[in-house]
Amino acid sequence: MQSKQLSDSHGIRRWAAVLLLGGCCHPFVARAALDDTDRVAVLEQKLDQSLRLIGELSARVRDLETQVAAQNSQAVTAGGPALGGAAPESQTATEQRLVAVEQTVTQIAAGAGQRAEDTGLPLHGFADVGVGNHNANFPEHKGAAVGSLDFFLTPRLGTRTRALFELNFETAEDGAIGVDLERAQIGYQFSDSATVWLGRFHTPYGYYNTAFHHGQQIATSLRRPRFLQFEDQGGILPAHTVGAWLTGSERIGDARLTYDFYVGNSQRITGRSLDMNNPGNAHGSAIVGGNVGVLLGGALDGLKLGVHAFTTRIEDQDLIPAYVTRVRSYGAYAVYDTDRWEHIAEFYVFDDENLSGPAGSHRSEAGFIQLGYRAGRSVPYARFERAALQQSDNFFAAQHSGTSYHRYALGIRFDLDLKSALKLELAQTQDSDRDFISYDEALLQYAIRF
Amino acid sequence: MLAAALVAFGLIHEVHSASTAGAATRLQQLPAAWRDDQGNAFDLHGLLGHNLALTMAYATCHRICPLTMQQLQRLQRDFDARGIDAQFLVIGYDPEKDDSAVWRQYRKTRHLTRSNWHFLVGTPATVEQTARRLGFEFWRYDEHVMHDSRIVMFDARGNLSTAGGLAPRDRSWMTE
Repeated sequence: MQSKQLSDSHGIRRWAAVLLLGGCCHPFVARAALDDTDRVAVLEQKLDQSLRLIGELSARVRDLETQVAAQNSQAVTAGGPALGGAAPESQTATEQRLVAVEQTVTQIAAGAGQRAEDTGLPLHGFADVGVGNHNANFPEHKGAAVGSLDFFLTPRLGTRTRALFELNFETAEDGAIGVDLERAQIGYQFSDSATVWLGRFHTPYGYYNTAFHHGQQIATSLRRPRFLQFEDQGGILPAHTVGAWLTGSERIGDARLTYDFYVGNSQRITGRSLDMNNPGNAHGSAIVGGNVGVLLGGALDGLKLGVHAFTTRIEDQDLIPAYVTRVRSYGAYAVYDTDRWEHIAEFYVFDDENLSGPAGSHRSEAGFIQLGYRAGRSVPYARFERAALQQSDNFFAAQHSGTSYHRYALGIRFDLDLKSALKLELAQTQDSDRDFISYDEALLQYAIRF
Repeated sequence: MLAAALVAFGLIHEVHSASTAGAATRLQQLPAAWRDDQGNAFDLHGLLGHNLALTMAYATCHRICPLTMQQLQRLQRDFDARGIDAQFLVIGYDPEKDDSAVWRQYRKTRHLTRSNWHFLVGTPATVEQTARRLGFEFWRYDEHVMHDSRIVMFDARGNLSTAGGLAPRDRSWMTE
């Protein structure tokens, strides 16, 4: 009871502090709003002035064109060149002035047009369908399958503020069409080398997770490596994080250094899958991580090397009381991406600690290597992936897809045109613990962008 | 039947591409101030008097842009064989990532070092304005720039004469 009162007292104090802070900030907010109103008024005034100027300049262009036409007419009537050198010179000067005025009109009109067009929001996206002797993500199903319909929105909000939303309709394992706001991030670009995003983003571990997103038409291969799949499609890593992300790059000589640092809600396991805790989590624990890479230049142009690490505290909420695991992951990647080759290799180590339930620390590993050759419109590729996941590690044992496996795949992507690709993949998968299932796959995918 | 339909689609697509070029029909209507791959100021209007082949690209594109570059190189060889003078312009879609140094490296590794080839860096505003006016549609998907392949050509008087995809057929604009 006393504890409850204390808690309430703290809660009231916290709310009072928030309200006090809000009260203090209110004048600034109000003033900012007034400033915005003033700025809009000034901008509208400038736009009006620009439009008036366009009108005046257009009239001037018409006058000059009339003059030129009259001069030409006179020249023709009088025998043209016989008039001497003065008339052509005058005509050339007039034409030059005409061009200059026309250019000015164009620039001003383009400027005015830019503001008008900024209010629109273009809709783009991706879609894919497939067929195979197994479903590419849920191997217990066979036949034709709807993949995903992914809408991508990037509203323009000014020179510094950025926004990115990815709304994805995809087929779940039970056949239902699920809708996910896969990414919802709003960011501020401080400079070319630093942008801060807030919201839900793709966790920047390794290379693949931020190089390829939900649009399958972008990726060379038919599907992501199994352990790097998204959470609801069999992935075992927290592919999405809700939090803050600082990212950027800086040129160093011929090379470019890239970096990512992020902090967000620690994820949880529910329904035997990872969930990114969109609204926040109950205990306030966080995922913290980083990724540093270098994109080399000169003779090594196209080669990127990097290292990454994150730590998070995962609750398995399928159990009561929930098992808790401290997940520590680190690894490295190498990518060679040129007009001819696309090679990607990633390696992950997990040093996890069971904080409740059966105690103990566990080391697991996962990785893949993919080799691709760009031969015009077709890109044949080969991939080997392997995950050796300790089943005594609560984090993997609790996940439906947390089984160890290896997979060999051979595939080819063929670009039917610039916006659509056909992909064929033959794969052999062997689960090396739990059920020891093995299966061969022949998969076809048709992926587009729009 | 299917082949005929595909050919017909290709032809329609090409004509459509040409007819839906943006508002600009003259070189002088495009922004003049750019920066080349050496980091020097570049006046686009200074190319008046030359035939001009113009495309847009981004340096880490390994799927579409290499094909466009090959097309430009074929065009260059064609011009050389016929003794035609022309300037080649490649405007970067993404000036925030693809600066002068990136294009300098791009030219070097792809052996696109002829002096009549110019790789230009603008501001985001001038790039968008130019793309819109010349009918280059593009959008950003994180690190990627989603775009098509397009080459537009201006004659020596700065008039837009041809616009098309990977295989511009109409070369009547050439002034020999």
